[in-house]
Amino acid sequence: MKQKASFVFLLIMFTGATAIAQDAERNATGIVRDALNHWRGLSSHGVMTMTIHRLDWKRTMSMESWSEGEKLSLVQVTEPRKDRGNATLINNNRMWTFSPKINRVIKVPSSMMNQSWMGSDFSNKDISRTDDMVEQYDHTLLSTSEMDEHVVFEIESIPHEDAAVVWGREVLKIREDNVMIEQHFYDQDDVLVKSLKTLDIREIGGRSVAARQRMSKAEMPDEWTEISIDSIEFDVELGDNVFTLSNLRNPRN
Amino acid sequence: MNALKIIVKLAWRNLWRNHRRTIVMLSAISIGAWAMIFMTSLVRGMVNEMLRDGIRALPGHVQVHHPDYRDDPSIENLMNTTREELAASLLAAGIERFSARVRVPAVISSERESRGVILLGVDPKREAAIAAIGSRVTEGRPLTDVGDGGVIIGRRLAEKLETEVGKRIVLMSQDPDNEIADRGFRVVGLYEANLEIQEEAFAFAGRMTIQQMLGIGDFVSEVAVVGDDYRVVDPLLASVRLSIDGDDEVLPWTELDEYLGTMMMVMDGFVIIWVVIIFFALSFGLVNTLVMAVFERVREIGLMLALGMRPSSILGQIIVESFFLLAIGLVVGNLLACLSIIVLSEGIDISIVAEGMEMFGSASVLYPEMEMQDVILANVVVLVLGFLASLSPAWRASRYEPVEAITKV
Repeated sequence: MKQKASFVFLLIMFTGATAIAQDAERNATGIVRDALNHWRGLSSHGVMTMTIHRLDWKRTMSMESWSEGEKLSLVQVTEPRKDRGNATLINNNRMWTFSPKINRVIKVPSSMMNQSWMGSDFSNKDISRTDDMVEQYDHTLLSTSEMDEHVVFEIESIPHEDAAVVWGREVLKIREDNVMIEQHFYDQDDVLVKSLKTLDIREIGGRSVAARQRMSKAEMPDEWTEISIDSIEFDVELGDNVFTLSNLRNPRN
Repeated sequence: MNALKIIVKLAWRNLWRNHRRTIVMLSAISIGAWAMIFMTSLVRGMVNEMLRDGIRALPGHVQVHHPDYRDDPSIENLMNTTREELAASLLAAGIERFSARVRVPAVISSERESRGVILLGVDPKREAAIAAIGSRVTEGRPLTDVGDGGVIIGRRLAEKLETEVGKRIVLMSQDPDNEIADRGFRVVGLYEANLEIQEEAFAFAGRMTIQQMLGIGDFVSEVAVVGDDYRVVDPLLASVRLSIDGDDEVLPWTELDEYLGTMMMVMDGFVIIWVVIIFFALSFGLVNTLVMAVFERVREIGLMLALGMRPSSILGQIIVESFFLLAIGLVVGNLLACLSIIVLSEGIDISIVAEGMEMFGSASVLYPEMEMQDVILANVVVLVLGFLASLSPAWRASRYEPVEAITKV
């Protein structure tokens, strides 16, 4: 009788444990999804600055950006003068660029997806694809910590076998108000390759916004790209013509 | 009959009257014959290797494509009939050695690098009969079946991508609607090829996996068919043409890769030119030797004529003499050539100049290949032209006036 009781106890312990594990996993996926959904259904119009830093040079570009949800966005370079008019349109993972110098709209083909976006440390793929993160990875909650009166979740994301992701794993740090603080990319030997860090979080329009983000390569600490938001408005009215190829070519805003 | 015997005997003895001259001439002929046969087999070896490699890279002796595929090898130009129908009609025509494959340009990327490759979705079992590039897997395992989720890449490509067997890479291409089609694959094996560019150019995966990734159902972009001999493709071409209906284009390798096709024809012509050039260099020596032999013996020839030997016998004697020279020289030359080819049958390592050689598609180890037709050609050319060259001094000798010849100082 006593033996049986302990067996039942074990059984309860075991199922309880798996239930907790499942819950943690769902939580981790949920946290990632919420962080990515931070922008869902939200339109914005802002001005940002991108700084590309290399060992012996540095370059700064000003851009104006429009977005609607996480599927539609348009970025146009305003400064420096010689790059003015260069623009990128993203619509549902498809990407077009326009360069006034050649006066052509180019649909970015798959072969160019791994190339750098406007000479920065971001690839075209980094810029255009966002929603793979939830479906193509298994997420586990590693730890929970406190930082500046916020709870920070540390999540390990391992891509599925057939996921179109080269990384061995990614480690994300997400604040409970859905701001992604850090994203670390590890190769398959578990060596850190690059990191995206949020350096400044500001409250804009009642939301926590990652106002300054830096992408840097672990092997070359002097090479990084920083994007900072100078000003942004949310819930703006955007016409139907904003995310169109003709607007990419001839901005009318 | 007796006269012939005497002529042969005289010719043979005359040959050895001046050892030094005969031996110099013999060595000239031997070295000439050796050079003809040996150099031809070297070039043959190089070109044949190049042709076989080229056909392997294509691959196959006959290929079937969409008519526009060769101009634009993209996903839009898939063949008009499904793989299943194609396979059925080829098998019905008794063609067994073929492979249907999806062949599209793609981008392969690892954590650190990305490069353009040609992605091939293949049926590993069918591919084995073709023995194309990618069949020499030196690390890891080969592909197992059409649904294999792994990918095989070249050793060089793996180095460039800083990846290895067991790691994952991403392949990115385009589907028929121009949307990005990508998927992660695990590198299951590395292959080695003769040329480094081939090791960088191709990535192989299971056909069905690729068809699913690209969303193209059971369609393929190319069918490669292999026959018995790459020099004789016309019968195979005809039967493939018969069994493929519709608009798809059926072409032999000579047209698929015109460079290779031309190469083969140039090679055959080159051998003849090569042999003839060497012979002309040789023939001056031969004629000179014979002319000297005749001049030296003017009085002797005059005496023979005065004693009643017929001019035709003199003619015969000189010709037989030159024939002996040529025959002995050829035997020695052929033996030398065989010997040096046997010695070098392990292959000649020319890797010092490998980069230059690769520019025109040749491997870094050269295997001489002796072909019977080249050996026969070289020997026949030497004999026939040698005979013609010896005609003039022989003719001159037989036309001497006996009295003049005897009294000549």
